[in-house]
Amino acid sequence: MILGRLVGTVWATKKNPRIENLKLAIVRPYFWYNPSHDVEHVVAVDQVGAEVGQDVLVCVGQPGRWVAGDYRCPIEASVMAIVDRVEIERGCEHAAPGPFALRAQFKPTTLVRVGADEGMTGGEERGGGERGTP
Amino acid sequence: MMLGRVVGEVWATRKNPRIEGRKALLVAVLGQDGEKRTPTGEVVVAFDSIGARIGHTVAVAWGSGARAVFAAPDNRWTLVDAAVARIVDAVLVEKDGKEVEERED
Repeated sequence: MILGRLVGTVWATKKNPRIENLKLAIVRPYFWYNPSHDVEHVVAVDQVGAEVGQDVLVCVGQPGRWVAGDYRCPIEASVMAIVDRVEIERGCEHAAPGPFALRAQFKPTTLVRVGADEGMTGGEERGGGERGTP
Repeated sequence: MMLGRVVGEVWATRKNPRIEGRKALLVAVLGQDGEKRTPTGEVVVAFDSIGARIGHTVAVAWGSGARAVFAAPDNRWTLVDAAVARIVDAVLVEKDGKEVEERED
C-alpha cells in the first residue's frame, strides 16, 4: 500500500484487451515499504478519477489486480482512494530518508500535525514563568 | 508481518467502494535493535482492522495475508494489501541469552 502523489497520466492506444478502458496514472510514492522494483514511480490503474497533483492511496500486488474484475489482468497497482487529509504525529513527518528521494519531500497538500510536542509545551510554560520573574 | 507504531491517519472521501468504511493508518516501522526497537524512519500505510490509535504498537500484515484480515465471502475482491492485524501488548526478546518480556504501555 502506497501513499503517493499522482504526477501524470499514461495514454495508450494499443493495449491488452483486458485493460481496455482503464485509465493509467503515474504515482510517485511518499512511502513504499520493501518495493519490488528500485524505481521512484509506479504506474497504477485509476478507477477513482484522481487528477494530477492529488495525493492518492495505491494498492499494489495481487489484491490490486482485482479492481478490473479479473485476476488475469496485467495490473500491478491500482488507485484506491483520493486523500483528503493526512494526520501525522508531531515529529514523525521528518522521518529518516529511505530508498526514495521523494520521502524527504513528504508534503501532502493536506498534511496536519497532531499531538502536542510535550517537551516544547513544557518549555514554553517554564519560559513564561521566567519571563514573568524579572 | 512487521512491528510498527501508529503515528498518523489518512482521510479519504472519494474511494473505491470496496474500501468503504476503512481507515488508513500511517505506521512507523520499528527496528530490531535489541530491546529499544527505535523507529527505522520508514513509514508505511495500512488499513486498520481492530481500532488501533496513534501511539499503539501494532503488527502489520502484507499482501494476500492482509486481504485475509478483511475476509469476506468474496474474499478475492477485497482491495487491501496492508492491514493492521493486531495491537501488541508485549514482546519477548532474547537478551544476554535470556528471554525478556517487554510490555508496551
